[in-house]
Amino acid sequence: MRALRRFGLLLVGLLLASVLLFMYVNSSERQAASYIESRDLIRLLKQQDAIWDNEVLKARVALSHNYDPLVSPLHEMARLWQRLDIIESESGRHAPSLWETQRDEYLKAIKEKTRLVEQFKSHNSVLRNSLAFLPTAEDDIQAEFAQLSDDDKLQLQSVVIDTYDLLLSSMEFSLLTTREMAAEVLLGLNRLEVNKERLPVNLHGSIDILSRHIALILREQPRVNELLEAVEAVPVSDHLDTITTLLEKDQEKAASKYQRNHVYLLVFATLLLLILVWLAIRLVRSFGEIKRVNKALQTANDELEQRVEERTRQLKDTQSELMDTARQAGMAEIATNVLHNVGNVLNSVNISTDLVSRKLRNSKGQGLAKAMQLINEHSHDLGRFLTEDEKGKLLPGYLNQLVEAMAVEQQGLLDELAQLSKSVDHIKDIVSTQQSYAGANSLVEPLVVSELLEDALRMNAGALTRHHVTVIKDYGNVPRVMGDKHRLLLILINLISNAKYAMAGVSNDARNMTLSATVVNDETLQISVKDEGEGIPAENMTRIFAHGFTTRKDGHGFGLHSCALAAIEMNGHLTAHSEGPGTGATFVLQVPLKLAEGEP
Amino acid sequence: MASSGLLLALGLFMGLSVTAHAAPLDEPLKPLPPVPALDPKRVQLGQRLFFDPRLSVNNTLSCVSCHRLDKGGADDKALSLGFDGKPVAVNTPTVFNASLNFHQFWDGRVDTLEEQVHAVVTSPTEMGNTWETVVKRIADDPGYAKDFANAYPDGVTKPNIQGALADFERTLLTPNSRFDQYLLGNTDILTPREKFGYQRFKEYGCIACHQGVNIGGNMFQKFGVMGDYIGDRGNPTQADEGRFNVTGDEADRQVFKVPSLRNVAVTAPYFHSGSAPTLERAVEVMFKYQLGREPVKNDTELIVEFLKTLTGEWEGKPL
Repeated sequence: MRALRRFGLLLVGLLLASVLLFMYVNSSERQAASYIESRDLIRLLKQQDAIWDNEVLKARVALSHNYDPLVSPLHEMARLWQRLDIIESESGRHAPSLWETQRDEYLKAIKEKTRLVEQFKSHNSVLRNSLAFLPTAEDDIQAEFAQLSDDDKLQLQSVVIDTYDLLLSSMEFSLLTTREMAAEVLLGLNRLEVNKERLPVNLHGSIDILSRHIALILREQPRVNELLEAVEAVPVSDHLDTITTLLEKDQEKAASKYQRNHVYLLVFATLLLLILVWLAIRLVRSFGEIKRVNKALQTANDELEQRVEERTRQLKDTQSELMDTARQAGMAEIATNVLHNVGNVLNSVNISTDLVSRKLRNSKGQGLAKAMQLINEHSHDLGRFLTEDEKGKLLPGYLNQLVEAMAVEQQGLLDELAQLSKSVDHIKDIVSTQQSYAGANSLVEPLVVSELLEDALRMNAGALTRHHVTVIKDYGNVPRVMGDKHRLLLILINLISNAKYAMAGVSNDARNMTLSATVVNDETLQISVKDEGEGIPAENMTRIFAHGFTTRKDGHGFGLHSCALAAIEMNGHLTAHSEGPGTGATFVLQVPLKLAEGEP
Repeated sequence: MASSGLLLALGLFMGLSVTAHAAPLDEPLKPLPPVPALDPKRVQLGQRLFFDPRLSVNNTLSCVSCHRLDKGGADDKALSLGFDGKPVAVNTPTVFNASLNFHQFWDGRVDTLEEQVHAVVTSPTEMGNTWETVVKRIADDPGYAKDFANAYPDGVTKPNIQGALADFERTLLTPNSRFDQYLLGNTDILTPREKFGYQRFKEYGCIACHQGVNIGGNMFQKFGVMGDYIGDRGNPTQADEGRFNVTGDEADRQVFKVPSLRNVAVTAPYFHSGSAPTLERAVEVMFKYQLGREPVKNDTELIVEFLKTLTGEWEGKPL
């Protein structure tokens, strides 16, 4: 579309340029200028032609004896004609062959006139010579007559008159060349020839000369007149006029063409002007548009800025809110964590106190009180009683048994209390660990892994028993290691608890949980908890360690999350494996193996 | 009355004597024009070419072989010899003042000196050459090639060789003849006999044809107006038919260009056939065949004396 537009613009531009070029080529003013020059040349040519004619006439009437002026106009005309020919032969000035025809006609006429003038010159010169000689010839004859004797003179009077008449008629003939005059002159010549016989011989020469010259006049005068007429008849001037007409016509055409071009140019200029105005309007409009868009943009920008500011403020508020929330959530999480862990241990505490209270309730101490009552009842005859009375006789044995039982009972209570205090210690540790959570400091101490596992089991013992879970222990040959007891315990308690829950919904009888501990490649301690419970669907596999993820109704989603965190804090990792729902799951904890001192 | 007439005569005389040396005379004969101003480089080239025998086919003839500048611009033969040693058809006319003739050659067959050069160079009886050869010979000469390149934008060409020769010939005018000085107003320079001769020249009608600036050379005329000269002479040739050979017009039979009479005293023999060995003979023939007149007593002598005043100068020396 864009390319098409550009092409269109280019086309329009080219069109305008070519129209302009065409008009420029068409509107050359040379035509007018050269027309003026041509007209001038023709005028000069006609002038020279007239001079030529004039010189011919001057030669005819014997005003001039110099024939150079009959030659020079021709040279001048040839020169002028050459200039005219160069101008007018230029192509495009005249319709084809029109100029050529005119030129040829003119040149033909000039050639003919030149030829006639040349002949005129030749004939005229001898004619003039003879005419000029006539009076002299007559004088010569008269002089010779004068020398004759008076008798002869009288006798030859008629001859003298005849000769004189002949002279006059010849002169008249030269002025009035008619057939009658010619006949008269011829008659006179014949008479002179006849008269000659009557004259003395010494006069014959002069008579002959006279008659020869008169004969020449008789011959040449009509010839000269003819030539003169012919010269006048040669239409040189007419051809020049025709050429002038042609030039005028073509000039008129050129002028009208010029005029037309003028109009075209005017129209074209108007068109250009209109285009210019249109472009200007478009420019102004587009300026307005740009201004408007700019303004709109400015407004939008301002608005946007305002909105950004507002949004920023909102965001800030939200952020601070979020931070508060996060803080609260963090606090909640910590609390949840702590409470969860504490809750786990409290279970054990609960069981222990339950056991203690139960043991105390069933204490054998009450038997002692009954024995003492018997003694007190028989304090007056205590001896007899102890020796004679049926009941009394049994009392010392009973007391002995009671002492033994009470010793066992005490031992059990002591054990249970020790367990209780261990759990309380654990709680204390959890709390103190949480207190220093951010610091993530860990207390590393020598550990026996199997003991650790047993502790963890014991802490879940009640629940495990309640849920009829069989624990399979697969402790490998694991040396003493340096480790963070509480983190490890936390992880194990969680995993065992999870395994127990995982198997809670499974109806089959065998609820087996396998605990195993091995050393992999001498550098990693691997502890795994395997259940045969509901398993983990593949889609949940990636989410189970996420904070807040749980599948249990009453779960809070912190257990595994905190376990994973704890594993990472120990530079290890916690992974889950499951073949899918119903196939059970295995959680594997791997931590770097750090042997305790004294271990090989 | 008488005194006033005397006064008038005195005034006229004084006027005449005052103007005698200044005012040109108004005569049918006109003084020679000045030498035209032409490019000296071209004129010089023309001069060298004029003397150059390479223009003829066998390197034997130059222009100057026949137009000898020390012999009045012609030679003393009735018919000059061509490159092949055979005589040419007509008598060699003088090259001096040839530029003032209205046509060139006896039969006037060309209008310009350039065409005349062409006709002579390529004439089979005169130089017998071709332009191809001439241009090659000239162009092969380093001196010519250089000078032509200086004088003409297109160097050695046929038109340029013709032009150079013609330009040189245009400078071959012979000014300062005694008669020209007379025409220019120095009427004392002619002797009375010469003046009489001039007067006879006019009276007998020689002036009818021999007039103008070149004293002839401006018209054609039949040779034998009043008699058959060629018939009387005998041995008519094709060349005797004159202008007829050019135009084919019967009226042009035995018509020739009227020759110039300038330097006529030094260009013997005379006529197109060179059949008049002396000026006297030529004048006699003219009287008889052209004028149809009998000259009185020593008028021929007077006319010949006048004709001798027509000899001009070339390079400051009389011809």
